[in-house]
Amino acid sequence: MVVEEIIIYGAVQGAVYALLALGYSLVYGVGGILNLAHGAYYLVGVYAFYIITDMQIGVVYGYWLGMVIALIGATSVGVVSYFLIIKPLKEFHISMLMGTFAIAFFCEQLAIVAVGPKYYTISTIFKDYVNIQLHYILIIIVASIIIINLVIIFIKKFEYIKVHYISIFIVSLISVILIVIFKEKPQIVRLSVHWIIIIITSSIIVTLTIIFINKSKIGKSIRAVSQDREAAMLMGINADRTLMYTIMISAFLAGIAAILYAPLDVVAPFKGWPVLTSAIAVVILGGMGSVPGSVIGAFIIGYARIATDYLIDPVYSSLVPVIIIILILIFRPQGLFGKKEIS
Amino acid sequence: MSVINKMEGMSRNLKKAHKKLIGFPSYFKDWSTTFKGGVTLFCLLILFIFPIMTQNPYYLDIFVLAMIYSIFAASWDFLAGFTGQVSFGHAIFFGISGYYVSATLVFNNFSWWAALIVGVIIAVFVGFIIGIICLRMKGPYLALGTMTIGLMFMNLYRIGPFKKYLWGDEGITAVPALSTNAIVVYYTTLIFMIISIIIMLRITKTNMGTIFKSIRDDETGSGASGINTTKYKVIAFMISSLFAGLAGGFFVMYNRSVGPLIFQPYYSFIILIMTALGGIATISGSALGAFTFVLLTEALRDLKELDPTNVFLDAFSHPAFVFSILLILIIRFASEGILKSALEKLKDLWDVLLGR
Repeated sequence: MVVEEIIIYGAVQGAVYALLALGYSLVYGVGGILNLAHGAYYLVGVYAFYIITDMQIGVVYGYWLGMVIALIGATSVGVVSYFLIIKPLKEFHISMLMGTFAIAFFCEQLAIVAVGPKYYTISTIFKDYVNIQLHYILIIIVASIIIINLVIIFIKKFEYIKVHYISIFIVSLISVILIVIFKEKPQIVRLSVHWIIIIITSSIIVTLTIIFINKSKIGKSIRAVSQDREAAMLMGINADRTLMYTIMISAFLAGIAAILYAPLDVVAPFKGWPVLTSAIAVVILGGMGSVPGSVIGAFIIGYARIATDYLIDPVYSSLVPVIIIILILIFRPQGLFGKKEIS
Repeated sequence: MSVINKMEGMSRNLKKAHKKLIGFPSYFKDWSTTFKGGVTLFCLLILFIFPIMTQNPYYLDIFVLAMIYSIFAASWDFLAGFTGQVSFGHAIFFGISGYYVSATLVFNNFSWWAALIVGVIIAVFVGFIIGIICLRMKGPYLALGTMTIGLMFMNLYRIGPFKKYLWGDEGITAVPALSTNAIVVYYTTLIFMIISIIIMLRITKTNMGTIFKSIRDDETGSGASGINTTKYKVIAFMISSLFAGLAGGFFVMYNRSVGPLIFQPYYSFIILIMTALGGIATISGSALGAFTFVLLTEALRDLKELDPTNVFLDAFSHPAFVFSILLILIIRFASEGILKSALEKLKDLWDVLLGR
């Protein structure tokens, strides 16, 4: 039973981390800033969701309204943090680091003051369980990963796509091996609908984000600014405005992660910090500013954490992202897929 | 020839030292009539006569805590303001020294100064290791790296399997205080605070301090002019962790217990506020900031009792909430600190009063 649980939980964790890390990586690419307020966006999303679902306005109605309010709340905190700290202080790296740190701390304290220091839970409305053959789940996970990669390949018109071919190849190889293993001894797994929703929603959102970045006008300006800021400004792109859009996207993705993952987790004021460290770990592992790197890194760290939970001891799993950050910063600062920066 | 030159130089230095020693009273008189000296002497005088004014242990404890935080904030300011190495994990040195001071006090029955020496040595060692690890990181990455190392220490000291060696979740309790007499504790801490701040201020004025400042202002340039930046960055880390460790040792003897929460980002955060209040790269300013922080915290705590039904008073009776707002405002609007500009205004008034 252990292997199945590792596969499913790892996919859920990886899907959530991918949402968090994608936005973080985009912000780093465009603005060159390490945004310590990223956990605060998640936290505000979670608390807005909790407050609305707690308001006794009908279970289903409250849940959907809560989702919308959480997304609006997270995005507006992103905008506020941009206008309050990031825009005025973009020349001073240390001040901006301190300022975003202060915003994260402020949101934590605001949660304590407004709601309370206790732990709360949100109960999901997707309470059903389905009994499903394990290799079907594997096929779902693998199919979504392959579809994402194929979409990227088609968008980029078959250029610069070594990473995607490699990932399709590796994923197919692993999945064929696993499916063959599990088809030998078929196992029925009892699976929450909420987990399936998380995996599917996350892959849809990640795909949409990648299409948005590559096809829309804002997305193209985001890519242009992250490639060369001065040249993009000379071509008439408003770099500050682009940074604002990027931070909005990043906060929106953090809000989606919050509404998907909060019902599985406790609602507590300190929850922003582990989210922040995980997002940073994923982005540093995958390479700063690299979109495929952050998605792949999210699944690596998700599976690493869950494997540590099940195979070694749950107490070590909070150490995994931190150790990965330190090792990568020491031995390979540009990450797995990042480009080497000349300083 | 060169020997004679050397001899001449030595005798000149001796003469200088002699002149300084003989002329010390007049130097002191000159210094004390300047604005800076006057304010410093005034503050020191208040600190020295404070136990005579009140014997209430509550007020004495508040001042002791403020003095401990002064050492801690000054050590952060030394690293960040003078060497440009911003650390968000300064609680590591604070906490590691606190742990081993309390361990030696409780399990080995050391006297407090011996325990402090042990704690400080361990803090300096950890500072050396972290300085070496963090050499490859610059600017924001350094802050991030130290913050994550701090979180790692917190988790490491918290989790069960190492409980035998690292005392687990509940830490060490019943740490003996420095002395049973509150006034003795007060004066000991005060003397340690003054000595630490004077040492740090003197270091920034020596040749080594100039090298630190050159690394802060232009690391590539100072490397090109023949300075071993690696060596001096590690030295700065070690000096800073020495004083942070000293503060940590006093803190556990003040707090009477130590647990994994001593590594939490809260302690790294509050020294940031103190330094921001007092103005960065002024070591005495962080002491002023620490006193402001602690006194304001105590004042805010009683705010709720004025009117328990008022929602705003309830919110503002959480000191951390108020200080997070304050930090955002300071960083956004007054990056050189509040107290420094206030002191400059006061200095203008002083000059007007003296008719300069």
